[in-house]
Amino acid sequence: MIDPGTISAILVGGLVLLLAVGAPVSISIGLPSALCMLLIVDFDRGAITAAQQMIGGADSFALLAIPFFILAGVIMNNGGIAERLINLARVLVGRTPAPLVQTNVIANAIFGTVSGSAVASAAAIGSTMSPMQRKAGYDRAFSAAANVASAPAGMLIPPSNTLIVYSLAAGGTSVGALFIAGYIPGILWALACAAVVFVYARRHPELKGEPWPKLSVLLTTLWRAVPSLGLIIVAIGGIVVGFFTPTEGSAVAVIYALLLSFLYRTIKVQDLPRILYDACRTSAIVIFLIAVSTIMAYVMTYARLPQLIAESLFGWTDSKVVVLLIMMLVLLLIGIPLDPTPAILIFTPIFLPIAVSYGIDPVHFGIMMVFNLSIAVISPPSAPVLFVGAQVAKVRLEAVIAKLVPFLIVLIVLLFIVVFVPQLSLWLPGLMGLL
Amino acid sequence: SCSAATGGDGEQPSTTFRVAFNQDIDHPQAQALVQLSDELEARTDGRLALELYTDETLGDQAATIEQVQSGTIDFAIVAGSLLENFETDFSVVNLPYLYESPEHQMSVLNDREIVGELYDTVLDDNIQMLTAYHGGVRNVYSSVGPVETPADLAGQKIRVIGSDTNVRMMELMGGVGTPMAQGEVYTAIQSGVLDGAENNELIYSTLSHDEIAPFYSRTEHLMMPDYLIASPAVWDGLAEEDRAVFEELLTASVDTELELFSTAVDEQTAAAEEAGAEFNDADVDAFREAVLPLHEERLTSELTQSIYDAIEAARG
Amino acid sequence: MTRGKLMTTARAWLDGTLRAICVALFALLVGLVAWQVFTRLVLDQPSAWSEEAARHTFVWVSLIGIAIAVGEKADVIMDFLVERLPLGLQRIADVIAHLATLAFVLYVMVFGGVQQSMLAWGQQNPLLPLTQGQLYLALPISGVLLTIYLLIHIVSTFSSRYRGHVGVAEDLEAASL
Ligand code: NA
Ligand code: NA
Repeated sequence: MIDPGTISAILVGGLVLLLAVGAPVSISIGLPSALCMLLIVDFDRGAITAAQQMIGGADSFALLAIPFFILAGVIMNNGGIAERLINLARVLVGRTPAPLVQTNVIANAIFGTVSGSAVASAAAIGSTMSPMQRKAGYDRAFSAAANVASAPAGMLIPPSNTLIVYSLAAGGTSVGALFIAGYIPGILWALACAAVVFVYARRHPELKGEPWPKLSVLLTTLWRAVPSLGLIIVAIGGIVVGFFTPTEGSAVAVIYALLLSFLYRTIKVQDLPRILYDACRTSAIVIFLIAVSTIMAYVMTYARLPQLIAESLFGWTDSKVVVLLIMMLVLLLIGIPLDPTPAILIFTPIFLPIAVSYGIDPVHFGIMMVFNLSIAVISPPSAPVLFVGAQVAKVRLEAVIAKLVPFLIVLIVLLFIVVFVPQLSLWLPGLMGLL
Repeated sequence: SCSAATGGDGEQPSTTFRVAFNQDIDHPQAQALVQLSDELEARTDGRLALELYTDETLGDQAATIEQVQSGTIDFAIVAGSLLENFETDFSVVNLPYLYESPEHQMSVLNDREIVGELYDTVLDDNIQMLTAYHGGVRNVYSSVGPVETPADLAGQKIRVIGSDTNVRMMELMGGVGTPMAQGEVYTAIQSGVLDGAENNELIYSTLSHDEIAPFYSRTEHLMMPDYLIASPAVWDGLAEEDRAVFEELLTASVDTELELFSTAVDEQTAAAEEAGAEFNDADVDAFREAVLPLHEERLTSELTQSIYDAIEAARG
Repeated sequence: MTRGKLMTTARAWLDGTLRAICVALFALLVGLVAWQVFTRLVLDQPSAWSEEAARHTFVWVSLIGIAIAVGEKADVIMDFLVERLPLGLQRIADVIAHLATLAFVLYVMVFGGVQQSMLAWGQQNPLLPLTQGQLYLALPISGVLLTIYLLIHIVSTFSSRYRGHVGVAEDLEAASL
């Protein structure tokens, strides 16, 4: 068994080197992780276990929503359903600068709230919005960045599977309290993204808003959008009233969009293979990244890296502020290659007892952890949300990353506020007697 | 298979075995193993110890069985139902209404006279069965109302473990058995996709299902054992005297775990009540009667029949 | 038929077959989840096997899909450094990147995948008439397909028609949708 320092060096060094020569991001994570597996177990078992972790990482019913929402988005675009919806959004919020990007941000907050998955949200809303944004002459990389940045809001706004995972890892912290606690930080997340878009748009005259349309135009647009709105009512409404789970709702959305497109005669049966194939390829790229990241999570767990990091970092200080800052930094950095679920399962048992010893409420800690990991899921280079956002907008990853920077800065500032102002998380659940 | 380093006194190598577990460190099974590890260390002069990997961080239980098979990890605690995938005969010990008490369950499942032949069937699969642990008594909980008789479950969609046996069991109990991944259950009950689920008090409380399905009814339908399994190579590789010590401690740990489990049930019941849950007794005889046809349906081999008879004979 | 032409035909056949498989599996996937909703909501007899089948179909479609994606060089890379290099160095970087991918694919997906499949060959799936080992075959099969595509990429890196990384500003593929 090799020492943790060597493992860290291989993981980080390998990632940087492989990215630099232009290897796929997934391989830049996967190959160093596989090398570590080989060194800490042995040649045969390292391979078997890495293979097993890959399958295990992809084998999740919740991930199924990703290809379905990508598919629904592609069908909606081909079928003219999206256009009708977006025309409606334009007449409704058209007067704000960059209306199509603001619509994207709001749609992500709403959609993510229901689906609870940042990747599914970025896929569904991004693939719906980006052709329109492109047609309207918006900067594609910026639009994609706004889509990526706003996608995780729904991980905080309930219902949220991520908060459920935290509740479990924290030994049964009330899910109800966590859900309510997530509202304000989640809404602030969406508002922060909207604010960045607003400031950006002010400096780009081509993104200025449109004048109010005439009432007749508004009504016609609304009427034309009714069947498309039906998709939202059926899929999202069905999830809310309990006809189906979010994953199932994503399949229902596909079928509804398909039927409507046939009705509009905008999609022919012979178009279907191309549409299915396109959605399949985009989702495969994302799922492969998630599957490969699972190997890295395994390596880190097996070598007890998180515990060792915690021990070496917290030993020298007693300051609550410094300890919190270290935790946030570690979560941010380690959350980038890891999916939120393994990150929460690995770090909660290590960090929560320390946090509690400093008098931090477990509900507040859960919110800051999920907020933090939500930033990590959109942070380059290895974030699935970022992949999806770039893919559906058909923009290069580097271009999106460049435009994402202001969003990340604002969100990190907001993270500090969420960490150091516990009332943002605890006020609402306290008001409802859940604490 | 494990990390070997030079022991404290510099003579014999020390070995720390990796144990995978899917719940948190406070769970009775984890606590029993922590205690076992301390005693093992003391009794072997620090040469042998266990290191627990809790919270499913090495993968789900099915994955950890495979890691034990390949020898990547040394031990794992896994649900009894998973072993049915390797040898179908394991289904006999997972039947509903089979045990009259946790003590009855533990006495028969750790009696090699009764289950030795069954346990040996998975040696071909590179699985060494070490100990059966009590994994709780599963009861039905619902968002609709208290369940007292099978009729109360009519039309209710109750989440069950994903297998035909469990779906059939819930059907016989009067409800509609609905398999679903555990991670989706909370929101599914909250939104009404499901009316409830079935599990022990610990899961009910730690997964906060008490918040959305406040009626917990003691149908006592299932006592599914969990097993500590080992990689045969690791187990056979132990020196004979070490293995004897280990076996002795394992036997003792069964009772420790049973006690810890009972305390945990009391604690989590209180916690759930605090969260607003209501506990009620159900007509266990009526449910047992309803489910009995399943016993005959599933007793398909001589081995299962003989184990079944022995378990019946051991009833108090 | 010349050798080059034969290769092109073989490649086109492979691409076409894999696309067809992906499309069929994806359609099946939609059908399975729809069936699950239907059996629970309409028939009131929730299907036990459909979720299990959907998850495995999903793993297969993703793993076949990644092979095609790599074949089409659609997997996500960041080549802002490489594209600034002279053509000769770009060629070297490309070969290293392909070899790194190949190393991962051969070690984890082919070697590890085959062994894992064999290990689980007799492990029954509780709900499907297939063993876990058979279901796990997706990984080595995807690995073999990836190997084929990677070898094609490596060979084409040395061809005289190699153009290196062209700094396309944005449009990765002319809006195919
Ligand atoms: Na949500
Ligand atoms: Na991440």
